[in-house]
Amino acid sequence: MDLTGEVRLAADRETVWRALNDPEILKQAIPGCESVEKLSDTEFTAKVVLKIGPMKATFSGKGTLGDLNPPNGYTISGEGQGGVAGFGKGSAKVELSDDAGQTVLRYTAAAQVGGKIAQLGARLIDATAKKLADQFFVKFAEVVNGKPAG
Amino acid sequence: MYDFTYARVSSVADAAKQLKGDDDAKAVAGGMTLIPTLKLRLAKPSALVDLGGVKDLAGIKVDGKTVTIGAMTTHGAVAASAEVKKAIPALAHLAAHIGDPAVRNRGTIGGSVANNDPAADYPAGVLALGATIVTNERQIAADDFFKGMFETALKPGELITAISFPVPEKAAYMKFPNPASRYAMVGVFVAKTAGGVRVAVTGAAPSVFRQKDMEAALTKKWAPDAIEGIKQKQDGLNSDIHASAEYRAHLVGVMAKRAVQAAG
Repeated sequence: MDLTGEVRLAADRETVWRALNDPEILKQAIPGCESVEKLSDTEFTAKVVLKIGPMKATFSGKGTLGDLNPPNGYTISGEGQGGVAGFGKGSAKVELSDDAGQTVLRYTAAAQVGGKIAQLGARLIDATAKKLADQFFVKFAEVVNGKPAG
Repeated sequence: MYDFTYARVSSVADAAKQLKGDDDAKAVAGGMTLIPTLKLRLAKPSALVDLGGVKDLAGIKVDGKTVTIGAMTTHGAVAASAEVKKAIPALAHLAAHIGDPAVRNRGTIGGSVANNDPAADYPAGVLALGATIVTNERQIAADDFFKGMFETALKPGELITAISFPVPEKAAYMKFPNPASRYAMVGVFVAKTAGGVRVAVTGAAPSVFRQKDMEAALTKKWAPDAIEGIKQKQDGLNSDIHASAEYRAHLVGVMAKRAVQAAG
C-alpha cells in the first residue's frame, strides 16, 4: 500500500530539514514513540507503542536515513519487531520545496506488516497506516511551526 | 498466561475508580473483542475490570418516545425484546444479525459502541437514530461520540451506562455481511426521525459516518429511487482482501436503497 500526502510548514526549508534530522523532534512526532536514540547521523533506534482498538504492541526497531539530499529531502525507512504481535517495516520518501516563504513537504510512504497483527488486523492496516502518517505530519508541523505540542 | 489482576466489581463507581488508577487496566463487558485479543497476545492489560457483576447495567426501558438500553444488555436480549421490536423494529433486526448466537448471547451494546469497531453494526444504529450515549459522567450525542477508527469521545475511566434511542417515524438497517465473521462489509441504517432524515454507514470507512447527500435526497422524497443517482465517493473508504473501496462505495448505494425499501 502506498500513501501520499502534503503538508505546508511555516518555516524555511533549512529549518524543516534540520527538524527532519533531529531525533528529539522525530520522537515527538512519531505516534506512540517512547524513545529515539541516535546511533549515527543516518541511523537510530526507536521504541514505539502501537495501539489499535483492543490491540496494543510495543515495537522496537531501527531506522535509517538514505538518499540524503540536504536540504531537499531524504528517504526514511525503518523496521521493527513487535514480539508476538508481528513485525512491521516501512519507508517514506520526503521532498521539500519552497513556496511563498513557506516550505511544502511531500511524502510517499509504503508500509508492510506481517505476523499475527497482519493476519488479524488485515482489514485495519491501510486505515491505520494512513492515520499514523497523518498524525505524524500534523504533529511534525506543530513542532516545526512552534505551536505548543500537545 | 500473562499475569494480570481480575476484579469483578459491583458498581460503576468502583469500576471507574479502578480504571482511573491504572492506565493499563481494561474494562471487560461481554469480552467478544477483548478476550480473543488477549488469547492472541495482542494486548497485555495489567488488570481486567469485569462489569458483569454490576446490577442495573442490563435491561431495556421504553418510556413514551424513548427506548433506553442498559450498557450490559446483550445483543440477544435486544433482538428478542418485544418492546424493542414494537418501538424500533430496525434496532431489534440489527441486534439479531450481529455475529453468531454465541456472540449475541455474550456481546453487549455498551461494549460494541465503546469499542467502535469500523465494521460493527451498533454504531450505525446509534448514529442514524441520533441516540444519546449516557456515561457515568455525562450524556454524549451520537454525532459527537464516534471520533474515528476505534476512537470515541470516552475519556479514560469513563464508562457507558446506557444508550437512549428516540423512537423514529421509520427506520431500517441493511447490511452486506462478511460471510465468515458477519461483520458488515457495508451496513446502512436509515431513519426518518423527529430531527430529520439520518443515514449512517458502517463497515465502509475507518469509522461510521453519515451520508449527507442521501439524507438531503431522502428529506425531499422518502423512496428508494430518490437516492438512485447518488454515488458514494471512494476516497477514504476501506480496501482489503474482502472488498475494494470501489466495491464498498457501490454497496453503500445498494444497501441504502434496500434499507429505505424495508423501512417503507
